[in-house]
Amino acid sequence: MGVCPVYEVMRREAGSARGKLALVAAREEGVLGDEGLYRHLLTACLLCGRCTNSCPNQVDVPRVVRAARAGLAERGRLGRLERLVLGRLLPGRRGLARLLGLARLTRWVWAARVPGESGLHLRFARLPGGARRRLPALARPFFLERPQAAQAAGQGPRVALFVGCVNNYLRPEAAQAALEVLAAAGARVEAPAGQGCCGLPAFSSGAVEGARALAARNLEALWPAGEPGPDLVTSPCASCASMLAHHLPGLLAGDPARAERARALAARVKPFSVVVTGLGGVRGEGPGRGASADLPALTYHDPCHLSRGFGEKDAPRFLLTWLPGLRFVEPSHPCRCCGQGGTFALHHPELSEALGQDKARRLIETGARYVVTECSGCWLQLQDLLARAGSEMEVLTTAEALRRWS
Amino acid sequence: MTLERGVRGELQRILGAANVLLDPAQLLTYSYDATPGAPRCPPEAVLLPEDTAQVAAVVGLAARTRTPLVARGAGTGMTGGARAIRGGWVLSTQRLNRILRIDLDNLQAVVQPGVVLKHFQEAVEDQGLFYPVDPQSLEACTLGGNLAENAGGPRAVKYGVTRQYVLALEAVLADGEIARFGARTLKSVAGYDMLSLLVGSEGTLGVITEATLRLLPAPAARGTLLACFETLEGAAAAVGATLRAGIVPAAIEFLDHASLGAVEAVEPLGLPPGVAAVLVLEVDGSAPEVERQAGAVRAVMAAAGASRVELAASEAEAERLWRARRALGPSLARIAPHKLNEDIVVPIVRLPEAVAGVHRIATEARVACACFGHLGDGNIHVNILVHPEDAGEMARAGQAVRATFELAVALGGSISGEHGIGTAKQPFLGLELGPRAMAAMRAVKAALDPLDILNPGKIFPVQDQAEVPPR
Repeated sequence: MGVCPVYEVMRREAGSARGKLALVAAREEGVLGDEGLYRHLLTACLLCGRCTNSCPNQVDVPRVVRAARAGLAERGRLGRLERLVLGRLLPGRRGLARLLGLARLTRWVWAARVPGESGLHLRFARLPGGARRRLPALARPFFLERPQAAQAAGQGPRVALFVGCVNNYLRPEAAQAALEVLAAAGARVEAPAGQGCCGLPAFSSGAVEGARALAARNLEALWPAGEPGPDLVTSPCASCASMLAHHLPGLLAGDPARAERARALAARVKPFSVVVTGLGGVRGEGPGRGASADLPALTYHDPCHLSRGFGEKDAPRFLLTWLPGLRFVEPSHPCRCCGQGGTFALHHPELSEALGQDKARRLIETGARYVVTECSGCWLQLQDLLARAGSEMEVLTTAEALRRWS
Repeated sequence: MTLERGVRGELQRILGAANVLLDPAQLLTYSYDATPGAPRCPPEAVLLPEDTAQVAAVVGLAARTRTPLVARGAGTGMTGGARAIRGGWVLSTQRLNRILRIDLDNLQAVVQPGVVLKHFQEAVEDQGLFYPVDPQSLEACTLGGNLAENAGGPRAVKYGVTRQYVLALEAVLADGEIARFGARTLKSVAGYDMLSLLVGSEGTLGVITEATLRLLPAPAARGTLLACFETLEGAAAAVGATLRAGIVPAAIEFLDHASLGAVEAVEPLGLPPGVAAVLVLEVDGSAPEVERQAGAVRAVMAAAGASRVELAASEAEAERLWRARRALGPSLARIAPHKLNEDIVVPIVRLPEAVAGVHRIATEARVACACFGHLGDGNIHVNILVHPEDAGEMARAGQAVRATFELAVALGGSISGEHGIGTAKQPFLGLELGPRAMAAMRAVKAALDPLDILNPGKIFPVQDQAEVPPR
C-alpha cells in the first residue's frame, strides 16, 4: 500500500491494493454485495501495476481488479454511464442514439463524429474537471482516413503500425511521425486499414465481450487469415501496444480460427522505442548524458504500460539522450503514474487531477522545455495538467521527438 | 449493530460527513490488519479526524456512549491489534499526517501520528538528518503505529527502538481530555516516565496525537557485508563475537536455510552450496570508520567460521542484499499458504541455543519452519509454515508456538521483540509475566481507562480464554 499512488492521494484503505483485494475477496465470499460503494471503490484503481512490481510474490492486483469489474459487467452492474457508452459496443443495444443525443448536448460536439467503438468515449463521456479540462481539437480528416504515402520499399522488416484512438482522432501528427520515423529507419511500414480501438478502455472497465470484438477486428486488420503477417507490430502508444501484446491472445483464446494467430501476433508486438532502437534508427549525434547545461532540456515520463507493462525504461532514454542540440534530464519519480489510468479519470476526477498535478509539478521542476512520453493517455493527461499549471512545456510522443530532432 | 442516528449526527458534526465512513465496503477495508488469518472485524464507523481537537471530541463521545474505540495507523501490525474485535469505531490517523516541524538546531521533529515512516525518513534525510527506526513495513506504516507498538527493525542493535527517540507526546486520554507528557529536551524526570507507558501500549491507554522525536545526524557512509555459514549455530555465535570485538554494526540480520530457499526464488543471491545460514551486516559512520569496521567484521566472521564473506562493492549491490532481506516475509508464502509469525527475542549469548532450540521444536512437531530476523539484538522471527485446512498440522503448529515462547522465556528473553501482544499473543502473556506484574499492568489500564473503551480486549488474556493456537 505504500507504493499505491491512489492510496497516497485518497488516504483511505480502500484506495490501496490491499483494500481492493479485500473488497474483491469479500464480494466473492458473499460478505459484500454489488450495491453501495463496492463498484465505486473498484473503479479507484489505475491498473498501473506498481503494487505488483514491488510485491515479492508478484500478486497481480490489476488482473484481480479487471476480473472483478468484468464480474460487475456480467451482473449488469456497470455504472449508468459505462452502460450507456459500452452499450454501443454490443449489438442490439440502443446506446448509440442515446449517446449521440447526449453528445450534442455537451460541448464535445466531436463525440458525435468519433465512431462508437472508440475507447475515447469512455475516457471523455463525462469529462473530469468539466469545462476546465483542455481537450485537443478533433482532427479533420482522421489519420486512418488519409491517403498514406507509399513507404519505403526494400528489404527492411515489414512493420504494422497500430495507430490508436488518440492518434487517429486527435493527434494524427503523432501517427504520421511514427510512420515516417520507422520508414526512415528502413522499415517497410504501413498502418493497415480496418484497425480500430485497441479495446483497453473496454477491457479495463470489465466489458470483456466488447474488448473481444475489438481484439478480433484488430487481429484481422493487422494479420489477415492466411497471410504471413507482419514481422513486427508497434504503436506510438504503449498502452495500445500493451493491449495487443498482453491481453489480445487471452481474449481470443477460445476462438479456434484466431487463437493461434493472436498468440503469434502478440509475440511480434514491440514498443515503438524498442523497434526504432532495434532498427538502428538513431541518427542523431546528440550529446548523450554529458550535455552542456546551456542546451534546452528535454525530460521523459515513463508510461505505466511501457515501464511496467513491457518492463522497458531504457529504449526511450537511449533514443532521447542522443537527440542533437538537447539536454536530457530525469524528473523525480519518472515511473509514477500520471493519473490518467484509462477510465480512472472518469470515475475519480479529483484523484486523477491530484495525481496529475503531482506529476506536472515534478516535470516542471526539471526546468525542461519539452517532455516526451510514449503513451497517448499520458500525453492527454500531461498536456492538460501542464497547461493548467501555467507551464508552456511542450508534450511530445517519442515518435514526434525523433522526427523533429533526429 | 448499527450506529444510533443521534450519535452518527454528532460524529458527522465533529468531523464533517465525508470523514465518517459508514458504507459496508469502506468498513470492510478497516476490518483487518496485516496479521495472517486473523478474522475480519468490521467496525460500525471509521472516523478520520484531522486535528487533536477532533480526536478529543470523538474520544469524549466514545466515553459518553461507552463505545469501543480502536486507533489505527496503516494496519500493518502483526498481532491483530488494530481490529475492532468488540465493534465500535476505528479512529484512523490517515488525515493526521503532517510533519509539523523539523528542528535542525535541537535535532528534533514534531509530527502527527499518521505520517508514513518512509515519508518522515525522506524528509529528515533531505535535511542531512537520520531517523533510524526501520521496521519492514516502513513504506506503509505510520509513526503513530510505530509508537503504539514500540516498533523496532534491523538497526535496533545499534540505534535502539522507537522509545529511544521519543522526547514528548501529546495524547487524548480515555475521558477525551488532552494531556502532554515529556519535554522537548533530552532529559526530563518530572514525575513518572509516562512516555514509556504510552509507547508500546497498543492504543489501550490513550490516543497519541502528536510526538516530538529525536533525530541523529545522518551517517556519511554505509557498508554492507554478507557472511555465509555452514551451521546455524556458527552464524548465531558470530553475532556475539562481533560485539565482543568492540564493533556494533548498525544491523546484523540473519536468514536460515529455509528462508534462503524462499529468497532465492525471488531475488537470487548466488550462494555457494552447503550454506545453512547467512548474516547480512551493515556498518555505518564516516567513510574511514566504515572501512575500518568492515575490515574488522570481515576478520571476525572468518575467525567465527564463515565459509565466505563479501563486502557489497556498490550501493546497488548493497540494495540488492537488503531487497532480498525485505522480500523474505512475503516470499515465504511460496512455501505454504499461511504462516504463524512469532518474534521472540533472547539475550545475545543465548542465540545459538535459541536458534537450535527453535529448529528442534519444529522438527519434533513435524512442521516447516523458517527463521530470520534481527540477530544483532537477539530478535528471531520464527515462521511456522502451515496449511490451514490441515487440522492436525495446525494443532502441532500451535504446540510448537507455545514451546517456542517457553524456550524464549527460559533463556531469559521475551515472547515479543517488536510485534506486541494484540490478540495473537494474549494466551501466552502469562508465560512471561508473573501474576503480580500482570495485575500491576491491569491496574494501570483500569486507572487510565476505567470504562475500558480504548482498544478493549487486547494485550491481557481474556478471562476463561481457552488456550488455543493463537489464530
